[in-house]
Formats: sequence, structure tokens, C-alpha cells
Amino acid sequence: MRRAFAEALTEAAERDPRVIFLTGDLGYGVFDDFIARFGPRYINVGVAEAQLVNAAAGLAREGFRPVIYSIASFMTGRPFEQIRFSVGYGRLPVVIVGAGGGLCYSECGVSHHALDDYALMRLVPGMTVVAPGDPGEVRALLGQMLQLPGPSYIRIGKYGEPTYEAEAPVVLGRARMLKDGDRLAVLTTGETAPLALDALSELAGENICPILCQFHTLAPLDTQALETLHTRADTWIVVEEAYRHGALFSGVQDWLYAAGIRKRLLRLGPNEDFVLGNPRREDLRRSAGFDAPAIAKTCRAEWSAGKEPS
Amino acid sequence: MANVSRLESKARAIRATCLQMAFEGKEGHLSSSLTSVDILVVLYYHALRADPSRADDPHRDRIIFSKGHGCTSLYAVLADRGYVPRAALRDYNVPYGPLPNHPCEHALPLLEMSSGSLGHGLGVAAGILYGLRLKESSARAFVVMGDGECNEGSVWEAAMFAAAHHMDRLVALVDYNGMQAVGRTDEIMGHTSLAAKFEAFGWSAAVIDGHRIPEIVDALDRAPFQPGRPTAIVAKTCVGVSFMENDVLWHYRKISREELDRALAELAETPIHLET
Repeated sequence: MRRAFAEALTEAAERDPRVIFLTGDLGYGVFDDFIARFGPRYINVGVAEAQLVNAAAGLAREGFRPVIYSIASFMTGRPFEQIRFSVGYGRLPVVIVGAGGGLCYSECGVSHHALDDYALMRLVPGMTVVAPGDPGEVRALLGQMLQLPGPSYIRIGKYGEPTYEAEAPVVLGRARMLKDGDRLAVLTTGETAPLALDALSELAGENICPILCQFHTLAPLDTQALETLHTRADTWIVVEEAYRHGALFSGVQDWLYAAGIRKRLLRLGPNEDFVLGNPRREDLRRSAGFDAPAIAKTCRAEWSAGKEPS
Repeated sequence: MANVSRLESKARAIRATCLQMAFEGKEGHLSSSLTSVDILVVLYYHALRADPSRADDPHRDRIIFSKGHGCTSLYAVLADRGYVPRAALRDYNVPYGPLPNHPCEHALPLLEMSSGSLGHGLGVAAGILYGLRLKESSARAFVVMGDGECNEGSVWEAAMFAAAHHMDRLVALVDYNGMQAVGRTDEIMGHTSLAAKFEAFGWSAAVIDGHRIPEIVDALDRAPFQPGRPTAIVAKTCVGVSFMENDVLWHYRKISREELDRALAELAETPIHLET
């Protein structure tokens, strides 16, 4: 994802002279090509996230399209005030990039875990919140974010994530159908999409065919897609690598409540706690019950439950 | 050349206007406002290269009033200088009006940014200057800050950034009135050496009397003091109304009719929006 991001950024900067990149002293070697091509349009502000955001706000006021970059935990919670006040209140078109989001840096400890980034960014009025699931979505969404009139946030991962194909194009603000099916819907966001795809290929041999819908945009939430899913599936399983408050599950829950719809809604994801012990990400996903086997197991149980005569 | 006596007379009228606005708007922060008056008068009448009739001129000098709570002085100067109608001053602190008690760019679009949350102006100004440099503009940026505001870590992140990028078109004016919300600045955060702090961060700095117009004029005329370095002007200030001096209460206190009359009599000036 990081490679895809750096390449998409360079392409965007090539097309649009207003694009300018600021980092909080991260991304060693990742942006060498960008630096070589665009010189002063690359700024390393140092380990100073408040200034990272405020400098971007100033640049946006002068008509530039700043893209700011740090590790997701340091990019969101730490300068939240600058994001809220200088960028959000000003309704400025700053693209905020949280690298290594979720539990990407699980082995680095709580300081580097970012399970609250989506929630924090969704709290800022007017903020578009983007959660791509593979390098292809990163590539497609960054260019669209740079066209927005206001602020946006994107969580990206590290290197070497699996890519996937789907007929549905990647359109900012629109959920993306990755697999069609029926009765049961799996709703993913960010890097839980490839986990669900693995689970679904395991289930295909058992003739269990849930719908898989990837919400790569968390805000604004694609309520039209939710309406469609409502007519097609009675049970929804939300899978998210984020705390349960403020990400996809709570967004879906809010929508269901407001629409007066009663539906069986399950959530797979980490608990609301600090993750101690620096475990590996795969182990964490397993123990918290949202890895591919856990998704498959839940789908299997719901599929057969749905078959029973009512 | 600056017409010193004209600026001094402007400053007295602006002070009277702040008092009247605070009374009519039933809002505090009087001391924070009054201490900035001379700095703002010199900026708007002498230093700024900006035309009130062309507030969106891309080559205008930028000014950010970062200590937003002290905004009656800003509004009064803007009205006197012709950026906003004088009559608008009557609507200070009126809900949905153009002049809220913390400046809002959505209410008053000619502002470079909203303020009210401390510690943002300097960092945003540095971003603006970086952008101006990319656009090959020679416009400058002036930031009026409080000494209490300098408690904020983001001020010093911005100070490092500006020095690293050799922003000699950036001028920070610190209204060193010695008071913050709950006490004296030197007692609370040891802010007894702000100029030395800025110098240690790679700036050039000067300490001046923030009410002696020639000193303010001279400091602004001399900026940048050294090529390649941003400029910090630490202006020692006081409230300028005898019964409000050295009393942190006036950070909050709403002024009564009697106190207003007393203060206006002391200044012997008429608020600009009451002039006929």
C-alpha cells in the first residue's frame, strides 16, 4: 500500500502543481522519487505533528493541495486539535494520511496501534474518511481525495498487502461490491476486505455464498448501498480492525436505528482495550476473532441458522 | 515616515472603542484586547502592505491575530481602517453577527484564519509563507500572539519550522502583558525570557515598549533584523486604564456603565462608532 501511495502521489503531483507533500519525519526512502522530481514540494517538518497539520493548513489557504503523512496513531490523535481547528473548521482541502493503521504495527506496542483513527476522523465535521483494502484502492482513491473541496483522511498499511479484483470500480463515497451472493452480507472496511475474501473462497466449496461489500469510504457512509444490502440480506456481519465505537459497525448501527430497520447485525473486530504484549498481527486477529477462519466460521453458522424453518 | 502623533491619537480612540464594545457586547477579555492596541495600530496604519479595498489581493501582507480572545482591538482597527463598516462594531458579540467574541473566518471572510484556540497562528502563518515562497510572492506574514499563548508547545514547533526554512518574511509580535487567564505569566510558566527563547530557536528578537509608537514602528521597519531569520518582537505592554492594571480579573470581568464612563474619561476619547 505504501508503494502504491507513493506512486499515486507522484502521479498526482505530476498532474497538479498544487500538490505538495509533508511528512512528520517518516517514510525513509519511500519518497525519494518524489523528492527528486519535485524538490521544494516535499517538506519534512520533523517530529512535530502539530506543525505538520498547521503548515498544511497554511499551504491550503494559499491554494495548495497538501498531503500530510505520519504513522496513523501519531497522525490523528496527537494533532487532533490542529486537525479539528486549523483544517476542519477552515474546511480546507488537506489530505491526511495515516500509515500503518489499525494493528499494522502490532509488534511495536500500544504507542503504535491505531484502532481509534477512523473514529477520531469521523468526528470532524466535513471530513471524508477513507479505508482502502488493497493497493489498488489506495491508488484509485488518493486521486479522488485530491479533488475534494474539504479535508479527508486515509488509513494505509505497509508493504506487500494482497491485491484483489472486482468488477465494481473504486468510487469515493460508494461501497464496492467485491462478491455477489445472497441472504448473508459481510461488510468490510480497510484491510479486513482481503480477510473476508479468503473466508469466502473457503466457503465457496461449501456452497455458502454471502455478499461481500467493501466500505472503503467510512464517511460519508454509502447509505444507498446499505439500502440495497437491506433488501438482499437479512444478516449482516461487519468486520473491522478498529474499536467498535466510531468505525463501520457503529455507522451501520446508527443508520439501521435511524431507518427503523431491525436486522441481525454481528461484529467481528478487536475489543475496546489496549493490546498489551506486542503480539503479531495475525495472532491478534485470531485471538480477537476476526481473521479469515473466524469470518468463515461466523458465516457458516449464520448461513445454516438462516436455513432453519421459521 | 510614520506620523507618530496621528498613530498615538488613533490608538487612544481604538482603546476607547474597545471599552465601549466590551460594554455593549457584555463580554470580557478587556485587558487582553487593550494591551494589543498600539501593536495593531502600527501594523495596520504603518507596516502592512495591504489595501482594505482589495482584501483578496494575492500580494497582500498576511496578518493573523492569533490571540483571538482579545479581538475587540482587532475589530476596532479593522473598522477604523475601512475593512468593515464602523456601524458593525455595534454588533460585536451578537449571535450570528460578523464580529463574534472569537474571530471566525466564516463570519468575517477577510480574516486569514479563525482564532480563539491558542497556538495555531504562528504555525499556519509559516505554512502560508512556504506557499507564498513557492508562488514567488514577496508578501510577508505578521502574527500577533499572547505571552500566555506561548505556553503552547505548538508555538515552538512552529518556531523551529520557521527557522529551519529561513523565513525572514515572518514577524511574530508577542503582546507581553505579563498576564494569562489565571495568573502572571512569569509565575505560571517561567516566561521571563521570551526573546532569548526565540533566539535560541534560531530567530532574531527584540524587546520593545509595546506602547511607544516610535519603538514599534522602528522594530517593524527593521524586520528582518538578520537576513534568513524570522523576527520576534516581544512588546512589553500594560492595559492603559489605571484601575485595570495588574489585575487578572480584567481577563474576564465585564465592564459596568460606571467603570466604562470612568475609563473613557481617563482616556478623554470617543469610541469611533459613536462619533457623529
